[in-house]
Amino acid sequence: MNKNLRKIVRQTNLLIGGIITLSVILVAIFAPVLAPFHPVDDADLMVSEEPPGAPYYLGTDIQGRDILSRVIYGARISLAVGLISQTLNTIIGVLLGLSAGFFGGWWDDFVMGLTNIMLSIPALVFALAIMALLGPGLFNVFIAMGFTNWSFSCRITRSQALAAKSLDYVKAARALGYGPIRRMFTQILPNIIGPILIIGTLGVAWAILLEAALSFLGLGVQPPTPSWGGMLSAAREQLFTAPWISVFPGIAIFITVLGLNLLGDGLRDILDPHTLNQRSL
Amino acid sequence: MFAYAVRRLLQFIPTILVISLMIFILLNVLPGNAALMAHGDQDTGRLTTEDIEEMKREWGLDKPLWYRYAVYLKGLVTGDLGKSFLRREPVNQLLKERVWPTLKLAIAAMCIAICLGVPLGFYSALRQGRMADTLTMIGAVSGVSMPQFWLGLLLMYFVSVKLHLLPPQGYGGGDLKHIILPAFTLGIGYVGLLARTTRAAVVEILTMDYIRTAKAKGLSEFLINRKHVMRNALILVLTTASLQFGDLMAQTVIVEKLFSWPGLGSLLVDSIFQRDIPITQGCILVIISTFLLVNLIVDLLYGVIDPRIRASFK
Amino acid sequence: MKKKIIILVTLFLTVFLLSGSAYAVRKGGTLNFMAPYGGDLSTLDPTKTSRYQDYLVTMNIHRGLYRWDAKKSTPVLDLPESVEISADKKTYTFKLRPNIKFHNGRLMTSDDVIWNFTRIATMKPSSPSFRYINMIKGAKDLHEGNISTFTGLKKIDDLTFQIVLDVPIDLGYSLWFPAVVVFPKEEVERLGDAFSTHPVGCGPFKFVKWVKGSEVIIEKFNDFYMEGLPYLDKVTYKIMGEAASRDLAFKAKELDATIVGAVNYPEYKADPVISKNMIEVAEMFTRLVGMNPDFKPFADKRVRQAINYAIPSDLIIEKILKGKAFPARGYLPSSSPAFDPNGKKYEFNLEKAKALMKEAGYEKGFTVERAIGTANKSWGTGIYEATMPYLKKIGIELKIQMMEGAAMDARIRASDFDMFIWSLDSGPDSLETMSRWKSDVDVGSGNYVKFNNPEFDNLLNQAALAKTDAEKNELVKKADAIFTEEAPVWFFNYNKAIMAFHPWVHNLSKVAPEMMFQDLTAVWVDETSPRADDK
Repeated sequence: MNKNLRKIVRQTNLLIGGIITLSVILVAIFAPVLAPFHPVDDADLMVSEEPPGAPYYLGTDIQGRDILSRVIYGARISLAVGLISQTLNTIIGVLLGLSAGFFGGWWDDFVMGLTNIMLSIPALVFALAIMALLGPGLFNVFIAMGFTNWSFSCRITRSQALAAKSLDYVKAARALGYGPIRRMFTQILPNIIGPILIIGTLGVAWAILLEAALSFLGLGVQPPTPSWGGMLSAAREQLFTAPWISVFPGIAIFITVLGLNLLGDGLRDILDPHTLNQRSL
Repeated sequence: MFAYAVRRLLQFIPTILVISLMIFILLNVLPGNAALMAHGDQDTGRLTTEDIEEMKREWGLDKPLWYRYAVYLKGLVTGDLGKSFLRREPVNQLLKERVWPTLKLAIAAMCIAICLGVPLGFYSALRQGRMADTLTMIGAVSGVSMPQFWLGLLLMYFVSVKLHLLPPQGYGGGDLKHIILPAFTLGIGYVGLLARTTRAAVVEILTMDYIRTAKAKGLSEFLINRKHVMRNALILVLTTASLQFGDLMAQTVIVEKLFSWPGLGSLLVDSIFQRDIPITQGCILVIISTFLLVNLIVDLLYGVIDPRIRASFK
Repeated sequence: MKKKIIILVTLFLTVFLLSGSAYAVRKGGTLNFMAPYGGDLSTLDPTKTSRYQDYLVTMNIHRGLYRWDAKKSTPVLDLPESVEISADKKTYTFKLRPNIKFHNGRLMTSDDVIWNFTRIATMKPSSPSFRYINMIKGAKDLHEGNISTFTGLKKIDDLTFQIVLDVPIDLGYSLWFPAVVVFPKEEVERLGDAFSTHPVGCGPFKFVKWVKGSEVIIEKFNDFYMEGLPYLDKVTYKIMGEAASRDLAFKAKELDATIVGAVNYPEYKADPVISKNMIEVAEMFTRLVGMNPDFKPFADKRVRQAINYAIPSDLIIEKILKGKAFPARGYLPSSSPAFDPNGKKYEFNLEKAKALMKEAGYEKGFTVERAIGTANKSWGTGIYEATMPYLKKIGIELKIQMMEGAAMDARIRASDFDMFIWSLDSGPDSLETMSRWKSDVDVGSGNYVKFNNPEFDNLLNQAALAKTDAEKNELVKKADAIFTEEAPVWFFNYNKAIMAFHPWVHNLSKVAPEMMFQDLTAVWVDETSPRADDK
């Protein structure tokens, strides 16, 4: 067994986090196969608020829809919200950070100023305002979250780019006459994949939670599309009268966020413990 | 150090200006206006088109955007944040009443988060990669993904309804009895965050050369942990906590609504929904200023904790 | 003399007989009540607001010429002891009670009434209360600054004054609303803007403290004009918008009474103690789905009727609202005097719905792209979700857009929707309520579905001239029948407002226009209350 592989296997965080994350992704992909009912079309008011039991293993919601099926399909929406918005955040953050670190000067000052501003505006308020502006819809949720959480990846990328600029091989590439864009992408980018990946996993978890918070305020994914946050918030008043409606999507969020966090921590431990010390949730 | 603080304070001005402009534009282009919201969430059908136009005129909403921003800036310079549309009360007055309860709640929540999160993270780091590490992190993360709403209601149910230990809601002048449940509800979400940050910081420091040297010199592990690791980890934890503080102040909304806490968070969100622009601007200004100030204080604290950083305050 | 006896008898009745309890009335104690609608109060000056959240508190601090009598379900005189109405119903001569004191100790005179009405008409920015007095002669001119005195108000002596109207209407229906009240002039002038946060009135309770976003505290006013009233020493309004925490605070006995939401209704009904202490009333709010005639299929009456036939309203009320609503027949609620219990009701009938769709040429159905609504549980997008499987059976698909109230309000008034779901105020004056659907009311002013029916307009115009209430209501009833037949909306339900209270609370009343408009003057708590002796 090679040394690296052994190191990976010994990290229970990475292992458990990886398994959980992978399972959630698989559930999302195979939702139509796994779900016993259709999450929207199989609504039947006659079986509204049935407690868990066959054939509704996790019970039904107030509209008479199978919770299990909605949680399974919800994985698709919640993961999509997390992945797409985090991808958007990463692209914005990396591009800004990379260019700021690489070119320096007034552009660097400008980007850093912008980053600080983004850091000081509470994310929930910013997302709330964007949602209110764009109006409701899944696509707008992606946008609202995709533009709110890029400051961390921006900072990390910038500091990495600054550090990498002084490395010998980048200097060598410059001596070879490679243009700045090419140097930026071929020489520096590969070096920051690690930290970006770590931030990414945590960012996905963050986005899933933020979507839940937006749903609480009535601005999340549109009904009847099942998102975990939406299901949770729709049934929040029934916490004591029909707990199964909100508890199961809550557990789904918990497991997914946990998996992503463990994965992020595990990645950090094996990739490079020196690069990341700031929060990103 | 004093000059450094002054310089940092001066840097606040452009930051606040840019943010206020961003927020101003964002708020003013939102669909809907306060006139429509003057009657609450059911439709009373007693508001005519003329009523709405008149209210807009009175609030200056018929003026062009740049003009309104100029008026707002002029007020900002003189320390006057304007008058609420719906409450018809000076925003300054409203903020004055609401800042302290929220600050109190946020500080209490942060204390709870630090007291629970830091030891957990420390423990986790020392057991890095083992089952105990994973289990601790599971515990910490469960706080993050526990919706505040659930936790608040469950606490209310068990502590107040079943055990009659604490009042289920209310401010009560902000005494200990009333603050425990809301602060706990709010703070739990940040335990995981602080635990993870602490863990990362300690893991990083444990691999550093001077710790290895210390170990090699035969210092007992406990001594090493306490002296070196603690001080270095403290800086990172402080950074995280301070970066979170602004967020925390805005996150209070759900807790404030649940417990009828007379704070800024619920005022902010209500005002967004009611399109009461002067209040929203005022609240965001306060939150951002608090965030900037807390971060400045923490930066200055670094100097106290670590002499190397003090050298960089020039 | 006769009048005095009548007053005494009435007083006696309210105080002793109608308390409806084996206990003798007990004085003292504190009532923990709630302000359940949304966020904080915005002001304690009812002439500067139009939110129910504010009125429900201010109505116990301030008083006006009329108040709502929950038992008779009509407006009754409040500050005046008598009124004489001229034959043409345009001149009202009021005589104030001689013993009305403001909270600062001064006696009220006719000058106070005139000063307050003038203030409402001339306030800048203008007062939302103005709409309740704008039919008084000279009000509009005064409001626009054309004249400087209120020509429709005349002082006769210190206690007697006259109000002259432009049109003959029942003044009580305008003035009972807690938006038109009488303040002591000197306090308003002394306090300025601070009057909104430190009000001085003439009602049964005095203002003590308002912790913004948390609670409002008021205490007994010893010189209230009704002898020996109020019973309570203190009332605390807890500002609690969240139903779930209200429920827990009620169960923890922190609240003495609570407004009950659909979620908890079955649970409270099943509880042996709480179920005995609940009052229910058909509130004057109609929940409906408006259909925009600019969306082509909705221009066809048959499509609109088909939708009404296709949705099993009763089942949705039972399952989603847990029975906490009355199925709607027409627009006017069952507690309205012009309600027609024998009027047409769209019973669930899928075959008929399909036939109507076919007749209209929409056999294949269509998609409603803009079905807008808020997150509200009883009149929000959740109801759309419940109707979707049924509408699908007649080929109609909904694309739901959930948004917050401010955004939806703007969309509705701009006609930027195909369907909206909302709760519309439908009482208590049947004519005024129905008039929002007249063709000359523009979309931005309340006719959201652009209803246009000459016969309907005609009936309402006649009703405005009717000599008696009965005649008026008969005409409005006919108008409502036309509205129902035309079906510009899907008639969903009338709210069933429910208040639950602990056994030690007595004398809360069923207020049909708005359950939370509780006049706490005659409410009392017995010695089993945990706050029986709190001051």
